[in-house]
Amino acid sequence: MSTNPSTASSAFSRRGFLGFAAAAASVPLLAACGGGSASQGGGGAAGTIKFWDMPWATPAYNDAAKKIAEGFSGANSKASYQLIQWNNFYQTFSSAIASKTGPAVSTGGGFQAFQFEQQGQIAYADKVFEALKKNGQFDDFLPGVVEPFKTDKGYVAVPWQLDIRPLWYRKSLFEKAGVEVPKDWATLLEAGKKLKSAGAVGFATGSGAGNNIGNHLMIMMMLNNGGGVFSKEGQLDVMNDRNVEAVEFMLELVSNGIIDPAAVSYTTDNLNAQWKDGKAAYGMLTLGVPERVGDTSGDIVVASPIAGPHGDKAALIFPNNIMMYTNTPSQEASEAFVVYYLGQLKELWKQKLMNALPVFKSITEMPEFTSDPNNVKIVKEYVPIAKTFASQGTALSADLAALDGGQALNQFTQTILTGKTDAKSALQAFESGLKSILKK
Amino acid sequence: MSAVVHAHPESGPVLGVAGPAKNKRVLSEAGHRGQWWRFIAILIITAVVLVPIMVTVVLAFTPGPNSTATGLTFENLSNVFSKTLAATWLQNSLITTLATVVVSVAVAAPAGYVLSRGRSKAVSGYSLLLFVMQSLPVITSVVPLFILFAAMGLVDNLMGLTIIYVGSTMTVATWMMAAYFDSIPISLEEASWIDGCSVFGSFTKVVLRNSLPGILSTAIFAFLLAWNDYLVAIVFLRSNEIFTLPMGVQSFFQQNNTDWSGVMALAVIMMLPPVIVFATLNKYFSVGGIGGSLAGR
Amino acid sequence: MSSTTAPSGLARARKGLAPGGPGGGSPNPGNQNRKSRLSAQTSRTFFWLLLPSVILLVLIHGYPLFQAGIQATHNGNLIQTGDFVGIENFQGVLASPAFWKAAQFTLLFTIVGVFGSWAVGLGLALLLRTKIPAGGTFKVLLLLPWVVPIVVSSTAWNWLVATPDSLIPSLFRNLGLGTPLFLADPTLAATTVMIFKVWVSFPFMMMMISAALASVDNTVYEAASMDGATRWQQFSQITLPLIARSTYISWILMTIFCVNDFPTIYLLTGGGPVDATTSLVVLAYRTVFQDFATGPGVAIAFLMTMTLVVISVLLYRQIRKSSVE
Repeated sequence: MSTNPSTASSAFSRRGFLGFAAAAASVPLLAACGGGSASQGGGGAAGTIKFWDMPWATPAYNDAAKKIAEGFSGANSKASYQLIQWNNFYQTFSSAIASKTGPAVSTGGGFQAFQFEQQGQIAYADKVFEALKKNGQFDDFLPGVVEPFKTDKGYVAVPWQLDIRPLWYRKSLFEKAGVEVPKDWATLLEAGKKLKSAGAVGFATGSGAGNNIGNHLMIMMMLNNGGGVFSKEGQLDVMNDRNVEAVEFMLELVSNGIIDPAAVSYTTDNLNAQWKDGKAAYGMLTLGVPERVGDTSGDIVVASPIAGPHGDKAALIFPNNIMMYTNTPSQEASEAFVVYYLGQLKELWKQKLMNALPVFKSITEMPEFTSDPNNVKIVKEYVPIAKTFASQGTALSADLAALDGGQALNQFTQTILTGKTDAKSALQAFESGLKSILKK
Repeated sequence: MSAVVHAHPESGPVLGVAGPAKNKRVLSEAGHRGQWWRFIAILIITAVVLVPIMVTVVLAFTPGPNSTATGLTFENLSNVFSKTLAATWLQNSLITTLATVVVSVAVAAPAGYVLSRGRSKAVSGYSLLLFVMQSLPVITSVVPLFILFAAMGLVDNLMGLTIIYVGSTMTVATWMMAAYFDSIPISLEEASWIDGCSVFGSFTKVVLRNSLPGILSTAIFAFLLAWNDYLVAIVFLRSNEIFTLPMGVQSFFQQNNTDWSGVMALAVIMMLPPVIVFATLNKYFSVGGIGGSLAGR
Repeated sequence: MSSTTAPSGLARARKGLAPGGPGGGSPNPGNQNRKSRLSAQTSRTFFWLLLPSVILLVLIHGYPLFQAGIQATHNGNLIQTGDFVGIENFQGVLASPAFWKAAQFTLLFTIVGVFGSWAVGLGLALLLRTKIPAGGTFKVLLLLPWVVPIVVSSTAWNWLVATPDSLIPSLFRNLGLGTPLFLADPTLAATTVMIFKVWVSFPFMMMMISAALASVDNTVYEAASMDGATRWQQFSQITLPLIARSTYISWILMTIFCVNDFPTIYLLTGGGPVDATTSLVVLAYRTVFQDFATGPGVAIAFLMTMTLVVISVLLYRQIRKSSVE
């Protein structure tokens, strides 16, 4: 299962819509668990903070992160580092938490904190933010990265890196086909046709086993047209005109062969190979594509965001986060650890181990970060227009954990990529699929 | 082993008999020619069947993206051993798998014997129960099992993993053993009872001793299940040093998804032990059961 | 030996060597004797022989099954039990078209998987039973598809078929057969997954049948052919009955393997395109771990298990019948 770390599970969701019932239901459980942890915490007794991290990048990243975690000593505690595989990670976390052998602090899937909060397992991070305000680091957060984690009961998690879906292109293929890099949807269609006759793929994507780039592309194109799956108020809003228009455009790309007819079955590796082998000319992917596909010749570069037919621009972003659990030897120590860890993050970018954008302004200004022109372009052009899975809304929630990796979006994407549908009926099926998942 | 039955080509059930059996010379010539036709047929079949595996092997020996080597190379293999814990993973896998095989057979053989020879309602009921209980897919049982094992301190631990593997192989292993015992005529046991053996004694001394092919089939089944599993391992194992090979391959795969040659090199390491085991055991497979001893009676 | 006549050869084959001859209550000469001599001691010995297996069964299968029963009738998640909802989850699942579509695919996948791998395995087992130069080597080589971890073989298969430029689509193109998209076209994807399953499973069948054939006395064939039995007669009247019990057992086992199979499908297609290759296990997995609907997902697994039990009870009867024959 070649799930790519950065695409597999970073995810977002949207609070609000239909979430009241779930939130209400979780209150007594929260109360119960809160009591349990307080007695366990025992007034800051010494213990080891178990920190679980994911393979966010190459093994060198995990080695460095381990070193940082094990360097912690504060609040009479130490920390241990544990790497958790992405495969079945939800199962791994759930079973560990249920058996009280889970972590005290962890990174993880983008929705994970909200899911476990709903299940009463998360310790709120308000005190971490207080400490960050005291030591000045709070002001260093890029604008808008903290808000998504705020809920009625407190901050569910602390952001530590940003994953984003920029557009990339291969220069030489555009030169060969004699076309300009697309500025909007119309020029994307035109360029795509010419690239296709030059033997290249005009809009590369994939939605095969374990690959959710295609899913992200669908949402991105809706956002790009000012649409999305949720309204400003957080209500499910699938059948809006902007979405219909976006899906019709995608279907047009498919029927013109600008999206590869086999894309529906492409795994992450198939897609990477398409970029590496010089077949893919243009498409939405993750950060660090040249390194990821193994072509650092400088031929693959970030393209500027494109405008939808109504002039909208948008990008899809995922703020990944660090969360704390109620099952800890000492909540105080958990908090101290998170504050410490955030303070050390710059090391990871300094050593160029991260394949993600930092959440701190100061890191985006470090020479190690700015030396990559693609990074600079993404921070300058994409971050300001970035939106989350919450679409037109801003806050995240657990209810949509199922949107990103769930069956409804995946089936919708695959239906579009096979092209045997019309926009309205595909969106209708998507909407009813989402409703059945989200009614809980 | 006196009970060996050689598979003569002349008496092969399908392709072997080429002419009237009375004329031995005609038969053996035809058999000889047939031999080579069959050789070519099986050669082609094997070649086609093994294409996906050859892909793996070729990639494993092809220089990686950052390599200066040309042609075929052992670089990938030595790389994964020096840069990952492949040696430890290999060792863990071997320990877990061997333990699973031994315990599985030790549990399944007696149970299979009871299923084969017992004729009470309770026994056939148990046989069915075995089946019903294990048909729930692993994915739904892993989480409850984890919680149970965590309480017993058997998590992130090769022994805990082995217990689960034995449990998962048990049903199939028991049935396989029962099926094999069924092919052993009870007259052999009866003879031993007359000689004063107990039921248990005749089971170990007569039945088991004559069940090598059945035991080996069962052992191979258990071997492969334990060797290849990662759905259980991924939830039960945490520490890099406790990983089994499939987990190691998984983790390497995710963190180095451009390093195909490394992944494939690990895959080849993973393939080797089963291949060695089968290659060594193969000759015992071709040894027949106890048909011969019956024929002698 | 030479005086053996065909009927008695066949009869002997059935009586003495027929699988399950003594097991299923066949009229055996030693029957009476055995019963009287053993009944007292036997049940005690049998109890001890079964005990380890019973303990493991309860621990590894009974307990999770019990837990799954709780999950299927509640609306909780993996950590919390939630509220009791009775059969609501089952009703919801049974009313969803996705379930029936997955059930249909599972049925087809299982039928092709069981009989496809059986046919291939039987053919190869019979072929390998004859004398072939380097036969032992082939036997080992042919076990490889089953030996290689699915993680690896699914990747290799993907490499062979996934893109229009992969080896096999290119081959088709060069033969002027168009460029089939083996994993992108729903029908082809379903076909590919089934072929992949047969490829993975036939060595198991080959091994089971080989082991059964190994215990067959060759003189039976000699006798039969001397009596003028044709090859087909020998096959259908000697070989098949002799391996009948093994065959039924291997069918049951392969049915379980196919119905419960997760990695083969999930790693090759993920259940797609759209839901063309979504089996019940894949659906259950995705419902529990991707849609986070634990109750309905476990309910799917339960319904699947129940169906499996019904099918296998029917096959199980067949085993008993084949023993009595």
